[in-house]
Amino acid sequence: MTTVRIGRFTLGQTAIGRLGVVIVAAALMTAGVLSGALPARRWEPFFQATTWTFLGEGLIVTLVVGGIALIGSLAISVPLGMARTELRGPLGWLVTAWIELVRATPILAILVIVFLGVPRLGLRLEALQAATVGLIIYNSAVLAEIVRAGIASIPKGEVEAARSLGLGYTSTMRFVVLPQAVARMTPAIVSQLITLIKDTSLAFILGAQELVGYGRSFFNFYGNSMETYVVIAVIFFLICYPLSRLSRRLEARQPPTDRVVVTGEPDQLTTATP
Amino acid sequence: MLELSPALAEYSDFFFEGFRNTLILAVGGMIGALVIGVIGATLRVWGGPFLSPVGTAYVEFFRNTPLLVQLSFCAVLFAPRNLNITANPIIVGILGLAIYTGSYVTEAIRSGILSVDARQVEAARSLGLSQIATLRFVVLPQAIRTVIPPLGNIAIALTKNTAIVGAIAANELLKVAGVIETRTASFDGYIAALIAFWCLTIPLAFVVSRIERRLKFAR
Repeated sequence: MTTVRIGRFTLGQTAIGRLGVVIVAAALMTAGVLSGALPARRWEPFFQATTWTFLGEGLIVTLVVGGIALIGSLAISVPLGMARTELRGPLGWLVTAWIELVRATPILAILVIVFLGVPRLGLRLEALQAATVGLIIYNSAVLAEIVRAGIASIPKGEVEAARSLGLGYTSTMRFVVLPQAVARMTPAIVSQLITLIKDTSLAFILGAQELVGYGRSFFNFYGNSMETYVVIAVIFFLICYPLSRLSRRLEARQPPTDRVVVTGEPDQLTTATP
Repeated sequence: MLELSPALAEYSDFFFEGFRNTLILAVGGMIGALVIGVIGATLRVWGGPFLSPVGTAYVEFFRNTPLLVQLSFCAVLFAPRNLNITANPIIVGILGLAIYTGSYVTEAIRSGILSVDARQVEAARSLGLSQIATLRFVVLPQAIRTVIPPLGNIAIALTKNTAIVGAIAANELLKVAGVIETRTASFDGYIAALIAFWCLTIPLAFVVSRIERRLKFAR
């Protein structure tokens, strides 16, 4: 090899790449079955239709929780992010402190504190509800930061131009800033959605029955825990991988200078190559 | 400070054990992730048609599946009745965190290497620098600048993710707080755990954003 070859082959770009992945996966599976680490009989339950209706129920719970959490946190994040940009003085510090503290907290800690703390205030919460509330608290803070960065990425001159043309604050936001900011924020929001979907699995730790919980009941019956975890991981992968492709494609459309990235969320790491 | 709360005063040793374990998980996980990341990025960038898809498959699969599922899988896989590596939840946690986080590190290092213009490599090569020398003197010095801010972000996320290792029975901060809560019915453990996590993540985030800003202007 006379030249330094740089990333010629990436998944999806060439048929060889995809083929290679399939071959590696198949080889690993065959090696697992042959070596006895993953006996074939423990895969057998996955060829029954009832297995998939059962796991499907769990998947629906996961998707519903993820959907509600996404809508809830999007709805909260826009006013929160705008308040973070606009408010000055004590109220502004309060909003900033809230966003920064929530983002600095492990999401599982938020879930657990909501689940155990809210009943102490006299309000009953099911595990699944507590998980949804916790997901909304955490993701609304991250999305608010994305909104803030999106608004900040619009040149000040445009806002000043709009204001001097006689547009009020609301109109400037509505017609000048937000339409452009939303386009720049979309890749980051899609990436955050991946984090959110993966984090729904944490509801299981509170004792909620979602995909991982259903999987656990399933393997407690069949005694195939490793195989079930692989299947659950594949289900999550089939949801998250297309989203990460989508996020990358959206990102590739805009110039790198317009990129909106929020500190501490590695799912937003750019994968686009120059 | 701990005297403010009788529950925490009683369990202070236990609490600090949790704090120590959280630190061990974060540092150990990051070291493991860096090792995996360097290998993974090497595979992806210079692996050729057969090895680079392996690197890509690793990155895409582990980035797009929940850490909880990966950790639970590792706990079963490494347990004595299977691979017989270890049943110690801290070690399983470090390995699981390293495998998960390694996929992000791979991607960060890879895009750092790719951020160096291919024409610079060609120029260095035609000036007579060997491949190793090109890498050592042209590619890596520039790549490291691009890689450090994403690595800082990954480290923040990793520190927060150590809380999930409690789910496989490792005594980290959040788990310890939970045990204190069940034994004493006091919520103070959780409040102390929150503050302890903030002591780790907030300074880290501050440093990362400073570095990000400095490198942005240096470009």
